[in-house]
Amino acid sequence: MPETRTASENSSAAPATAPLAAAAPAAAQRSSLRLGVAGPVGTGKSTLIASLCRHLSEELEIGVVTNDIYTDEDARLLRAAGVLPTERIVAVETGACPHTAIRDDVTPNLLVVEDLERKLAPLDLVIVESGGDNLTATFSPALVDAQIFCIDVAGGGDVARKGGPGIERADLLVVNKTDLGEHVGVDVEQMVADATAAREGRTVLALSQSDPASLETLMDWVRSVLTQHREQVWETTDPGPMAPHFHANGEEYSHDHNHPHTH
Amino acid sequence: MGADATVPQGAVSAAVPAVGQVASLILGDGRLPVGGHAQSGGLEPALAAGLTPEEIPAYIIGRLRTVGLVEASAAVLARQAVTSLGSSAVLEDLADAYAARTPSAPLRAVSVQVGRGLARLARVLWGDAAPVLALHELAEPPRPVALGVVAALGGLDAAQTARISLYDDAQTVASAATKLIPIDPTEPVRWLLASTDTIEQMVERAVASTGTENLPATNAPQAEQWSLDHAARERRIFHA
Repeated sequence: MPETRTASENSSAAPATAPLAAAAPAAAQRSSLRLGVAGPVGTGKSTLIASLCRHLSEELEIGVVTNDIYTDEDARLLRAAGVLPTERIVAVETGACPHTAIRDDVTPNLLVVEDLERKLAPLDLVIVESGGDNLTATFSPALVDAQIFCIDVAGGGDVARKGGPGIERADLLVVNKTDLGEHVGVDVEQMVADATAAREGRTVLALSQSDPASLETLMDWVRSVLTQHREQVWETTDPGPMAPHFHANGEEYSHDHNHPHTH
Repeated sequence: MGADATVPQGAVSAAVPAVGQVASLILGDGRLPVGGHAQSGGLEPALAAGLTPEEIPAYIIGRLRTVGLVEASAAVLARQAVTSLGSSAVLEDLADAYAARTPSAPLRAVSVQVGRGLARLARVLWGDAAPVLALHELAEPPRPVALGVVAALGGLDAAQTARISLYDDAQTVASAATKLIPIDPTEPVRWLLASTDTIEQMVERAVASTGTENLPATNAPQAEQWSLDHAARERRIFHA
């Protein structure tokens, strides 16, 4: 129902606000690289982040933001791993909406990321771990500059083939726990080949904690993105909420619009 | 209202109805990007402490008449302060007065969490307008103070500001219920409609606040205790 207003109030209208000011500082004005790590529950996101900290903390100033559905368990796990000073690891509680906190309303995460960057300036790398969600949850480019999507062999060999925005279009897809392939009846080579096909040339990394070479490849990838970010040539891309697909008329639909069409 | 000539430069014009109407809806919308999705208005700890689903409507009313009134009144005062070019010192006093009426540390922290989300929104949308600068002088702006400032920037009047504050409190509890208990999602809508009279009564009282000296101090000690229990819990879905 409309508010009732007096004529005098209505007649005194004046410009209410200043023109829209510049939004938050753009990636180009920041020295730190914000790197997201997303992927389903149990695929090894926290362990991957612990590895990044362990291997890179001597050459880079790192901060970590964890997102947990329940309390701050991932932050505590990382603090207990001793890979970073504890004040560099901060938890954000996402309520029942871990996907919301990295995609539609990233405000709680942005506040914590900005706090870390201010408090520990100058940081080189801020890693944001998503709460374990499902295959469709990816980071908004408003929160991170680059993102890793993490799936694992134990989750089933067909996951890579099924695709989804993270699998297809995250900056890096990690197929984790490759050492478990023989134990869970998954053909790792086939899974990586499926992922590579789904990603149309984007990078896929078969990772295992027991394979030092694969870990070093991961570190090199992060170093490379950081270098590109500093040289302001890194292009942040949005994996998007859904895969672009083609209709019979040959037009591409990306589903980042709202007009309906039938399938 | 309407004496624009007396409004100092940088202050917010007191009446911009066309802007205020839509801004009012935006501020009352749970999709506003200020991180409200992690909050249950104390419902999760209340249910954990034994509140039954049948008691939720009364819980909503109880909040509106106590902490809801305090927050709405503080929001009205914050709006008033920046509309008449109050300094950040006025907002600081108000934040202190609100904190004094919110004895639970976890609830003060949660309020600041959402308040900072609102402050960030204000900074991005209104840049260096005087009310934004005053708000950002506060290291830890609580929700009602930030809401009052954003309401002023959006052109809301005092009653709209109070109503948004109260409605958001009720809606936070009601919508959290669908995640916490097995319930038909139309039921929380019924609770909200049933709280209409209480909301309007509280709006009337909130707009009557003229300063921190008569800011209501109606507490909800039981809910405060529950919030302390919740903060110490290992498993929780909502922040508070």
